[in-house]
Amino acid sequence: MNNKELIASISVKLNAPKSVVAMLLETTVATCAQLLVEDKTIGFQSFGNFEVRKKDERLSVHPSTQIRTLIPPKLVVNFKQSNILKDKLKDMPHHD
Amino acid sequence: MIKEKISSQEIIDLVASKASVSKRAAEEFLKVMIASIEEGLLAGETVKIKSFGTFKLQWNEPRKSVNIQTKEEILINGYYKVAFVPDATLKEQVNEPFAHLEPVELDTDPSKNDLIENTDPVSDPLRIFNEQAFEIKNLISEIQALSKKPSTEIHEVEPIRDIYKEEIKQIPENEVEEDETDSGSGIKDEKKDLENVIEETETQPEISEEEVTEILKSIPEDKIDVVESEVESIKESKRDAELTLKEEEQPKIHDIVSTAEPISTPADQPKEESSVIKEPTPENNASLLTSELPSTPYLDNIKPPVRNKKLKLVLLILLLVIGSGTGLFIYFASTGDNSVENITRNISVSEMINTISGWITPAPKPAQKPVKVVIPKDTADYESTEQIQPVDSLQLLFDNPRVYTEFIASERIHAGNRLTIMSKRYFKNKEFWVYIYEANKDKITNPDNIAVGTFIRIPKIDPRLIDTSNPRCLIKAKELHDIYIK
Repeated sequence: MNNKELIASISVKLNAPKSVVAMLLETTVATCAQLLVEDKTIGFQSFGNFEVRKKDERLSVHPSTQIRTLIPPKLVVNFKQSNILKDKLKDMPHHD
Repeated sequence: MIKEKISSQEIIDLVASKASVSKRAAEEFLKVMIASIEEGLLAGETVKIKSFGTFKLQWNEPRKSVNIQTKEEILINGYYKVAFVPDATLKEQVNEPFAHLEPVELDTDPSKNDLIENTDPVSDPLRIFNEQAFEIKNLISEIQALSKKPSTEIHEVEPIRDIYKEEIKQIPENEVEEDETDSGSGIKDEKKDLENVIEETETQPEISEEEVTEILKSIPEDKIDVVESEVESIKESKRDAELTLKEEEQPKIHDIVSTAEPISTPADQPKEESSVIKEPTPENNASLLTSELPSTPYLDNIKPPVRNKKLKLVLLILLLVIGSGTGLFIYFASTGDNSVENITRNISVSEMINTISGWITPAPKPAQKPVKVVIPKDTADYESTEQIQPVDSLQLLFDNPRVYTEFIASERIHAGNRLTIMSKRYFKNKEFWVYIYEANKDKITNPDNIAVGTFIRIPKIDPRLIDTSNPRCLIKAKELHDIYIK
């Protein structure tokens, strides 16, 4: 499901025009991003938490050339699902 | 540090105020949005939100675990987990405080290895020189050691004679025991005779030193010839060394003879010694004569006994320099393996002479010569390449001092803001921060730590200077970076 399909799905459920939904989604995303940049954790009830985690600097060694590279620290967005969502997913059968 | 947690209610409030919609609408929208995402995920799809990220399901395999308290094995069922991969734009936004950092390669070993490999062919002949010099020194020290050895050998020989004496004494005694019944006086006579013989053998070594000259001529003629020829060859190769060597050889001849004569068994030893001396020197000298002499009037200079030693020394050193120089030249010019072998022998000879002359005078160091031969070529190459490179308009642009009169934007520094981040925003590459710094030098004392609230003006820069596709622009910016950051 890509962005367009998501907007379509929401607009059908909300019975609202796609343009409005698209605008709202954009605003939500921008808000979330802003909050994450400010190093805040966003918790969506019954869905999960978004948080920024710092990955420390590390040394990586290239397996074949043996060149050691210092990888700088970085900040990454991490998502952890809530237990409610986990329970919902439990019922899903595994098929590969 | 506990992070401030934003609940869904706060998000709803923020979205409502930003999108200027009612809170209820925003709340409903968020609920439906999450429901839709869940729906998509439950349908086994990946859900992608533009400029935010992708949600997808990840299957975690069932695994065994142990209850820590009861130590019972438990099977954890396989389950799905929602994995979120942030979009590139979100990643960049979040990672902005560390955006200016880049992976740094710590080891520059490969380049060092290259350097070593480059210098190897240059140092190789030097190494050969050193090795050969070492070998020759060993040989010469052996010769010196041999000249001292015989003096100790005389002491070694004497106990052997004593053993003989004892044996001779023992034998008659046994005979006495056996033949006691036959005749006592006859045995005693025999014993006396034997003792006389022993006395004679004892006195012989004392005489032998006097007889040496006679023995020299008579018995080991071959050996003496060898030694003499060797002395002569050394004479030819080095007149100054000859004096010392001859002195060393002469007592040796005496000793070899004296040790060889009285007892026949240790005669093999001196032979071996002489053969040891024989092996290295005549060979080298022969090659010296064949290889060195045709090009120089070497023999003519040396054969007549010149008494002015100083003049000879100067001549010799000159020859050494020329000889080793030509040897080197041939060595570098040659490509075939056979020729290389011949030339290395050539070098060994010249090196030998060098070392010998090194005992008398500080010889010209051969190590400096190859460097002299090789390096001028390299420098010439560099010069030629530098001359070829044309000075283009871009180079002029780089070299001219930049003047900033026009500005495209201005910004106030806030916490976490950096010139590199601004540069990336305005000039598409963070390396060009140096130009912003140049334009605001009067306000910025330390580009790494700009005071919050500083008013920064973003200058208008010649687009040719900040061409991200041109590697030279990046190199120039990096050069400036190195100048400003130390």
